[in-house]
Amino acid sequence: MSLSIPSRIAGAAARRTSSKVFFAQSRHYHPSPSSQDATPPTKSVQELESSVETISARLHEMKTGLIPLGSPPVGPPTPTRARHQPDYDAAVDYRTSGFSPIPKRLMDGSEPGETVAAAVLSGAPQDLQARTVRIYRPAKTATQSGDWHSHHWIMDWDPLGKGYRWENPLMGWQSSADFMNGERIPFKSKEDAIAFATKQGYEYFVQEPNVRRFVPKAYANNFVHIPKRLKVIPTK
Amino acid sequence: MINPTYLAQRTRSSVNWTDARFRVLKSYREWIRAAPEIQNMYSLNLPVSTVKNKIRQEFERHRYVAQLPAVDVLLFQSHSEFQETLNYWKQLNHVLKYFRIEEDPKAKLPSNFMGGFLQGRN
Repeated sequence: MSLSIPSRIAGAAARRTSSKVFFAQSRHYHPSPSSQDATPPTKSVQELESSVETISARLHEMKTGLIPLGSPPVGPPTPTRARHQPDYDAAVDYRTSGFSPIPKRLMDGSEPGETVAAAVLSGAPQDLQARTVRIYRPAKTATQSGDWHSHHWIMDWDPLGKGYRWENPLMGWQSSADFMNGERIPFKSKEDAIAFATKQGYEYFVQEPNVRRFVPKAYANNFVHIPKRLKVIPTK
Repeated sequence: MINPTYLAQRTRSSVNWTDARFRVLKSYREWIRAAPEIQNMYSLNLPVSTVKNKIRQEFERHRYVAQLPAVDVLLFQSHSEFQETLNYWKQLNHVLKYFRIEEDPKAKLPSNFMGGFLQGRN
């Protein structure tokens, strides 16, 4: 084994292990080594060498006692992909289908902060982390009755690209592969919705509501005396 | 007197990271040692090395979890999966959930943009 292969296994960079060692090239796992297509590693040689150096340095620190073994794991250097690009090496679970979108980043529990990594623990399908979620406030009904329906926030899933709706060949009924079609989760505030989306690892965007602008008016201002100027009362 | 079922483990919190590391490695060892038994019990058509690789992959997936309570939950899930698998409470399809790629090589995600574009995935 040459040093150009990155290795996340403690000690493998320093000592030789058995020949059937599993290498994780990125933070996510690869399909089993028995798969036919062996895609070449996408990292450049400098990145590989630098990552091996950091791992060797860390192992040395662990061995000499500078970092105690009882400390939380430090994640590997983030793979140098451009931001918001799909991750084609992501893990596939048993619910992935031909309609699943490609995730940008799968949650793996190493995110900084106090957020519970619910995407890791809940066992939810990984397609949900690939799909975009919209957080918005429903518009007020276009009547004069009132606006009691437009004070909460709703989380809504964007429709799938390919499997959203097609015609059933037998009866002509509408079929869909989009299981989050009719899901709407209401929240009391925008922060609650954002915290939920962060916890579950969803890609989200917030659509700010169009707030009505109201100009306060007084009927008495129609009769106020303004010398030498034409009286104009703005109503919008 | 309540007798727990075979392979049951009491749920507890890890005291610190060293404790969590010890428990994770212990759980991993139990899984690896049970791999030939799993293959025999469920009559899997996969070699034992594939089962062991899959166990390793599942543990590696959660290698960089940074929160101790999350590690505790994952340990609980590992113990309960272990009990369900070795007590034969699962059925073949439950075990094969982990082997989607091995059973169906076409279930992989496309490997580049053009593949994804031609398949229509967004």
